[in-house]
Amino acid sequence: MIKKLIVDFAFYLQTSKSYQARKHFYVNLLNNSKYKYKKYFDIFMISLIFTSVFVLIRNVKHPIEDYLFYFNSYIISIIFFVEYLLRFWIHSSVSKIIVDQVENDLFLSREVNLSKAFRKIVGVKFSYISSITAIIDILAVMPFFHELRLLRLLILFRVFKLFRYANSFQTFASVLSSKKFEFFMLAIFASVVIFASSILIYVMEANNPNSPVNTIFEAFYWSIVTISTVGYGDVVPITYEGRIVALVVIISGIAVLAFTTSLAVSAFTEKIDEIREIKIVENITKLKSFYLICGYESLAQDVAKKLKYLGNEIIVLETDAQRIVSAKGDGLTVLSYDSGELQSYKKLHLDFEKQVKSVLCLREDDVANVYTALTIRSLSKDVNILSILTESSNRKKLEYAGINKLVYPQELIGIITKELVGQPVAFEVIHELRSHKSNVNVTEILITEKILKNYSTVKKLGNKEFGVVLFGVYKEKKRHFYFNAMESTLLELGDFLLVIGYKIFIKEFEKHLHKKVKYE
Amino acid sequence: MSDSTALIFGFNNYSEEILKNVQQKYDNVKIYSLDKEDVKRDSSIGHFDLSDNWKKMEDEINVDKSVAFCVLEETAENVFLVISLRATYENLSIIAIASDKENADKLLMAGANKVVPLVETTADIITNMLENPISNDLLHEMLYEESTLKIAQIKIGRESHIKGVELSSIDWGHYDGIIVLSVMHKDMKSEFIYSSKVKRHIIKEDDVLVVVGYEQDIQEFEEKIGSNRYVSWNNWSW
Repeated sequence: MIKKLIVDFAFYLQTSKSYQARKHFYVNLLNNSKYKYKKYFDIFMISLIFTSVFVLIRNVKHPIEDYLFYFNSYIISIIFFVEYLLRFWIHSSVSKIIVDQVENDLFLSREVNLSKAFRKIVGVKFSYISSITAIIDILAVMPFFHELRLLRLLILFRVFKLFRYANSFQTFASVLSSKKFEFFMLAIFASVVIFASSILIYVMEANNPNSPVNTIFEAFYWSIVTISTVGYGDVVPITYEGRIVALVVIISGIAVLAFTTSLAVSAFTEKIDEIREIKIVENITKLKSFYLICGYESLAQDVAKKLKYLGNEIIVLETDAQRIVSAKGDGLTVLSYDSGELQSYKKLHLDFEKQVKSVLCLREDDVANVYTALTIRSLSKDVNILSILTESSNRKKLEYAGINKLVYPQELIGIITKELVGQPVAFEVIHELRSHKSNVNVTEILITEKILKNYSTVKKLGNKEFGVVLFGVYKEKKRHFYFNAMESTLLELGDFLLVIGYKIFIKEFEKHLHKKVKYE
Repeated sequence: MSDSTALIFGFNNYSEEILKNVQQKYDNVKIYSLDKEDVKRDSSIGHFDLSDNWKKMEDEINVDKSVAFCVLEETAENVFLVISLRATYENLSIIAIASDKENADKLLMAGANKVVPLVETTADIITNMLENPISNDLLHEMLYEESTLKIAQIKIGRESHIKGVELSSIDWGHYDGIIVLSVMHKDMKSEFIYSSKVKRHIIKEDDVLVVVGYEQDIQEFEEKIGSNRYVSWNNWSW
């Protein structure tokens, strides 16, 4: 009967949308560094830690106010305990373990063995409780029992909790942990030296009435102070034998210090690229929209510069070391990832539809561009892909790979030539209008709800006051351009105004459109 | 001899595309290749050598009405070709392609009237396609003569009544359906009409106004100001 109840309850939890959504929320809040509310949670917890430390320090020489005392001892402790319980809850899913066990047993036509599932649950939960971070968490709750004076010092464990909320601490720890074995060997060596020298110095000095080393603790203290090369000088050996021991400890101390420093430096040197990459990936996931440029050859370099000049974020994927240096020199975010590999995009955790304005395959190699396009298409059906075409015979292949827009430079030259020989002056004028270097530009302004609220017709826009010429209105719904639109033309959401004028005047005009109009 | 001729130097993808686009504009189109194999394969292709005496060509074409397109893939050869043509024909219009800005400057120094830097131009077009897709398509269709909306070059005639008038004093709103974009004088670069530099400019004979409008409106505009379209592009160099 109880068994059935437990199984039913586990199935209920596994299928309950509200329960899973709640759990998912806490998983994000506590563990997902990309979750937008996590940073607020982290800031809140960090401020609690600092408050706690402040109270501890102040309490050393001054009596603290009651409300601070209760806040520190009870409220903060309770919050930390709740956090501990939440982490304990989300660490693993009890209901999933039970459901998996039941399904396995049913599949193999066996009687449901819940004790096996419970053993698994205990094992998994114990692995969490015994983890260093969980131990720190529970010790940080201990100051709740403030009556025990020693336990108050456990408040310092709250400081260790900072590791949880600051990514750089975690990075620091992960870098050092890459040299775990070396540090372990070093620690063994230092321990042996400290242990041996403590005993030796005690044996040599303890019986001498003039020696400051009288207890084994003093010997141990001297040993640590000497091997660390601090050497306070409050405890010094005075016998001939003791000084020989001191010489050995001093030399060992220099070795230990030098070795520790070199280990830490080499760990950072080896990991620095990895750390940078992690940071870049983190920043990319936070970007709202950007262009993804695959390959950084001459055309890509020019396109990237122009798009950046227009205020766009650019991410470059390139494997060639020289081009990576060039992209970095141009102030772009570049990752040494192969744009043709699925793994590259998985590492980036990209949301193509929301984040990527367009993917630009600008390698001077149709094969590479097809490969990249297919890889991206397998991840997103809707993202806009633009590619260059180097051989006209490959046009169909690139189209088949799902590329939305193909640019064939040779064809462009043909078109430009026709435009140029047809109307050279007009060509120059239009070229100038389109060029981003020119002071006079043609700009597209999207009609948003905010603009529409204040300016419902062309007449109300007031562009002439800003020295801006309204070239026309592009009606998105009809997909038609109304040149030199009449003043009575009604504007609609999603329409585009095409305006010509000085860049600064256009900017002023745009600001004016987005400003709230005050009605008297 | 009064026929217009397009001379395309180089036999490659660029020349093929240029041929497709300009053959309707010129009475004759001639392609020249440096490679004798190309000539063997296609009898319509002429052979040329960088050491040729270009004077011979004068008998076959009307230099003043012809345009040379220099699209050799080897930049140094292209520069040499341009300089050879310019040394022989002062009035020949030369359009050349360059891989980058550095080569474009060399070609201009060698005497080309117009140089199209490949990478920069393609990058400009890609950027416009992405950032301003509507205006990009619209302006292209106008120039490529695929749209009912036209862009026209109006040359101020001797009889035009706006001749001698200060540009800023003209109320362009008076001319329905027309947007005047820029003015170009022989002595100066094309300047947008919004520029402060041209506001005090007095309109002279042979100035060129670049206007946008529908065919009928442009015709009415021409009649109103007493000027005509068409400008021989050979007169201009950039």
